[in-house]
Amino acid sequence: MSLIRLENIIKKYHEGEENELEVLHGVGLNIEEGEFVSIVGESGSGKSTLMNIIGLLDRPNSGSYFLNGQDVSETTDNERSRIRNQQIGFVFQTYNLIPRTTAVSNVEVPMMYAGVPKRERTERAQWLLERVGMKERMQHRPEELSGGQKQRVAIARAMANSPAILLADEPTGALDSQTGRSIMDLFHELNEKEHRTIVLITHSLPLSEETQRILTLMDGRIIGDRKGKYASGKH
Amino acid sequence: MLLENTSLALASLQSNKLRTMLTMLGIIIGIAAVIAIVTIGNSMTRSMQEMMASFGVNNIDLYAFSEGEAEEEQTQPFSFKQEWLEDMLEEFPGEIKTVSVDSSIGSATLEHNGKTVNTDVIGVSAGYLVAKDVELIAGKSISSMAYSIGTWDCIVSDLFVELALGVSPEQAVGKSVELNLSGSGLQELHISGVYHFDFDSWVMNYGDRTAKREEVSTEVYIPYRTAQEFMDAPDELSYFTVVATEGTDTTDLAERLMKFFNDKIPDETHYTCESYSMQSMIDENNKSMGQMTLAISLIAGIALLVGGIGVMNIMMVSITERTREIGTRKALGAPNSAIRIQFITEAIILCLIGGVIGIVLGIIFGMIGSKLMGYNGEIAVWSIFFAMGFSMLIGVFFGYYPANKAAKMDPILALSYE
Ligand SMILES: Nc1ncnc2c1ncn2[C@@H]1O[C@H](COP(=O)(O)OP(=O)(O)OP(=O)(O)O)[C@@H](O)[C@H]1O
Ligand SMILES: [Mg+2]
Repeated sequence: MSLIRLENIIKKYHEGEENELEVLHGVGLNIEEGEFVSIVGESGSGKSTLMNIIGLLDRPNSGSYFLNGQDVSETTDNERSRIRNQQIGFVFQTYNLIPRTTAVSNVEVPMMYAGVPKRERTERAQWLLERVGMKERMQHRPEELSGGQKQRVAIARAMANSPAILLADEPTGALDSQTGRSIMDLFHELNEKEHRTIVLITHSLPLSEETQRILTLMDGRIIGDRKGKYASGKH
Repeated sequence: MLLENTSLALASLQSNKLRTMLTMLGIIIGIAAVIAIVTIGNSMTRSMQEMMASFGVNNIDLYAFSEGEAEEEQTQPFSFKQEWLEDMLEEFPGEIKTVSVDSSIGSATLEHNGKTVNTDVIGVSAGYLVAKDVELIAGKSISSMAYSIGTWDCIVSDLFVELALGVSPEQAVGKSVELNLSGSGLQELHISGVYHFDFDSWVMNYGDRTAKREEVSTEVYIPYRTAQEFMDAPDELSYFTVVATEGTDTTDLAERLMKFFNDKIPDETHYTCESYSMQSMIDENNKSMGQMTLAISLIAGIALLVGGIGVMNIMMVSITERTREIGTRKALGAPNSAIRIQFITEAIILCLIGGVIGIVLGIIFGMIGSKLMGYNGEIAVWSIFFAMGFSMLIGVFFGYYPANKAAKMDPILALSYE
C-alpha cells in the first residue's frame, strides 16, 4: 500500500468562469513510505499546485487521493487540519516562521494545536532545535536569524509532531549553495535515519539527482519518473 | 492555549503601541465616563444616606411662604394655628409619631473661672428631641408637665457642663445654672438631662476648621411654653416638623399634609404651605441624577460604539497584515476555531486594557467630581466588575467578525499573500 496515492487529479482555477485555467490535467501518482522524491519542472508547470493538494491545503476539482489507504478526498476542513497537524510537515521557500515569536515557540506551534502539554512541547522543541543545530539560537526571534537558520527552525517545526511526510517547496531556493547544501544534508538525515517520506520541489538539478526518485512535471502532466543518479538510498 | 493566545495578543499589540492606544481611545472614554458617573452617583447616595441618618428619614418639614409681594410678608406675618395642628393629629391618626416645634430666643452666656461660656437657648416641644434624634447621655427628658406649664427645666450639652460647671454629665443632672440671657438678664435653669455634643462632626458640617472647642456655642433646650414668654409674637408658628411613624410613605404623607394645610389657609392671604421631606429630597435628587446618568450614558454609549468599531477596524488591519501568519498556522494544523479564538482573544485583550485605563481615569474623574460637588468620594466596586465585563463583551462582539474572517481564509491564498 502506497503512503500517497493520487488518481486522475484535475485542478482548475476559476472553474466555470471566463478565465478558467486547468493546471493539473489528471495526475496519477504513488509514493511509498520512506521514499525521498523530488519534483522538477518549469516554472508554472504546476509543482506547487500538486504539492498543495498532497498537503491537503487545496482540494482538486476531481480525482481521488488516498493517504495511508484512507480516502481523504471528501474530508472536512477540520479533518484536514487534523491530518496536516499529525501527518504532514511543511517547509516553505520563504520559511514562514511566525514573526515576533522565538524559535522554540515557533517549533511548539504544531504541538500546541495537537494539544501537547506546555512542558512536554517545550522539551521536545528544544530537542528538535538541538538536532537541527540551533541549540544556541533557541530564544531568538525570526527577525534575528539568517535565512539558513530560519530554514533549520522551520524544519524542526515541520518535525514537531513526527509526521510521516515532509513536504518541502523549494526549501533551498532562497539560500546560497553552501547553506542549501547543509539544509539538503538535514533532509537526507531525516530520510535515512528516521525513514521520513520526503517530497521536495526544487529547481536545482544537482539536488534532485541526490534523491531516490525524480518526477518531472510539464504543463500539468507528469512526463518523467526515474531514479536519481547519485541517490544514496538503500531502498 | 489561552496563555499562548494572551501572550501572542500582547506581543502583537505591543508591536504597534501608538495604533493600539488610538484604537483604545473610544473604549477608554466610554468606560471612563460610565465609571465617573457611577462613582459620583454612588458618592451622592452615600452622602445622602449619612445625611438621612443625621436629619431623620421620617421627618417632614412644613412651612409657609408668600407668593405675593415681599411687603405682605412683613405686614401680614403668617402663622400656623395651634388648632390646625390638633386637627392634623386627628386627620392623620397612626401616621404621625410626634410634632416638633422649635424657636430660638437668642444667645446666653455664663461666666466660669473668668471665662465666658456661650450657648443658644431654644424653646422646643417634646417632639423636638425625637425629630433631631438627640440622645441623652445622663439625666432624663423634660417632663410633659414641665412642657405644659413652662418651667425652667433644661437640657444642656456635655461640653457646656464641662465648661460651665467643670463636672461630669452625671454630676450635672439636678444642678442649677444661672444664664445671662441677652436682653433679659439673669435666669436660673435646672438641668434635667445632658446630651452629647459631637465637636468633630460639628466642624465637618459647618466647615469651620479654625473653631476652638471651648468657644463653640452649644444649644440649651427649654420647654416651648417657657420660651414663648420671650418671643415678640408668641403665637406665631411659621414652621414645624412632623415625625412620621416608622414605615410610613413620607413622600406621600408630605404631599397630603401640604394639601391639608393649604385648604386651611384662607384664600385671601397669598400664603402657600410647602412640605419638605428627606425622602422627597432624595427622590428629587435621584431624578436629576437619573437624567444626568442618562445623558452621560448616551455619550458613553456612542464612545463605546465608536470604540468598538475602531477595534473592529484595527482587527481587520491586523488580520490583513498577518495573512501569511494565518496561512502558516493553518498549514501547521490549526483548526478554524483556533484561529478564531486567537483573534477574538486579541480583541478582548485590547478592550480589556482600554477598559482598565478607562476605569482608572473614571475613578479619578469621579472622585474629583464628587469632591467638587461636595460629597465624599466613594467607589462603586460593582461598576469596576461591570466595566470589565462590558469591555470583554465589546471585544467579543466587535472582534468576532474579523476573527471569523481570519478563520475562514483559504490557506493557500493566505500563504501566498504578498
Ligand atoms: N490562485 C491561483 N489562481 C489562478 N491561477 C493560479 C493560482 N495559483 C497558481 N495558478 C496558476 O497555476 C499554474 C501553476 O502554478 P504553480 O504555482 O503550481 O507553478 P509552479 O510549478 O510551482 O511554478 P514555480 O516553479 O514558479 O513555483 C500557473 O500558471 C499559475 O499562474
Ligand atoms: Mg511553485
